Amino acid sequence: MREIIKMILVLSAICLVAGLLLGTVKQATLSRIEEQVLICVQGPALKNVLKDFDNNPIAERKKFKVDKTDTQVTVFPAISKGYLTGVAIEGFGKGYGGDIGVMVGFDLKKDELTGIGITTMKETPGIGTYISKNDFTDQFFEHPMGNLALKSQKGDIDAVSGATFSSKGAMDAVQKSVNIYSTIKPEILRAWKHME
Amino acid sequence: MNRMWKEFSKGLWLELPPFRLLLGLCPVLAVTKTAYNGFGMGCAVIFVLTLSNLIISLVRKIIPPKVRIVCFIVITASLVVTVELLMQAFTYPLYQELGIFVPLIVVNCLILGRAEAFASRNPVHLSVADALGMGFGFTLSLTFLGGIREIFGYGTFFGRPFMWAEFKPFTFMVEAPGAFICLAMCLAAMNFITTWQSKRF
Repeated sequence: MREIIKMILVLSAICLVAGLLLGTVKQATLSRIEEQVLICVQGPALKNVLKDFDNNPIAERKKFKVDKTDTQVTVFPAISKGYLTGVAIEGFGKGYGGDIGVMVGFDLKKDELTGIGITTMKETPGIGTYISKNDFTDQFFEHPMGNLALKSQKGDIDAVSGATFSSKGAMDAVQKSVNIYSTIKPEILRAWKHME
Repeated sequence: MNRMWKEFSKGLWLELPPFRLLLGLCPVLAVTKTAYNGFGMGCAVIFVLTLSNLIISLVRKIIPPKVRIVCFIVITASLVVTVELLMQAFTYPLYQELGIFVPLIVVNCLILGRAEAFASRNPVHLSVADALGMGFGFTLSLTFLGGIREIFGYGTFFGRPFMWAEFKPFTFMVEAPGAFICLAMCLAAMNFITTWQSKRF
């Protein structure tokens, strides 16, 4: 009996200390990890989808609440000579193997896309992963807001052959970003200085 | 002091973990695509191994024998998650490269093996010496293996150009089969040196 109690006590004590330690470390590293993830995962995509900016979009990011929903989105501003020229918003769509994250850049003045970049995905290597290649993503360069759909759905974007599901997921993600952008555009304009 | 040096130095040659004890081979084969990756993995292992040996040796007298393995795993798992978080916070690119192999340090037989075979039976200072020796041996082996594979597979060493300009890299060295062949060569070389030495003396 005494042995059992001792086992329970020792194991509980060890677990308690371990839990406390992990909680502390997690708290202490939380904001730094968030920043590192942004720099290493979103950073490369951001550079490709935003054009003419001289600021640091990651450092100057702001969070916005989307109307009528509880979701928060992070908006990365592209600022050139003190004025906001465009923003990038990340959207997510269901892919073949989990969520596909797509960073979508928007031109504020012309209300068109400045490009997309895949940030995270778990698609099949050599098939679904082609959605991150230029052949697919270049189609979104300077693309207007309307008509954004795959050709099979009466849009004008060519899906990656053999990877319809992944292309659809990426497309969903783009459309979600576009919706968010249209919803919160007035707030974005209020948040940064921009050209009239 | 003599005893401590003995425990430390045995990890560097006599009981070199991956090449002698053949412990912890999973990361040895998987992450040694470049010298830097091998070095980073080795450092993570040094950190976890030293602290786990230290803690386990400290509490070895209060741990009931029947639940000792569970205790060891709880301790190493917490340390590994700590390393993982620290890596994410400070060396995120390395974390992306090592990926799943960082959390897998928990079940690295080297860590549990040293805890069970050494730290749970020896005083603190010897356990730390043992962990440091084993950890350094592990890091050296991984860096060595990663270095060889990087030099032949990419023509670079720690990311810097190493071979002459016309060198065509053998990409196969940085694929999975290259890891097995390299490891086998190292084992063969180690065995050759040992037999040669024993013949001489």
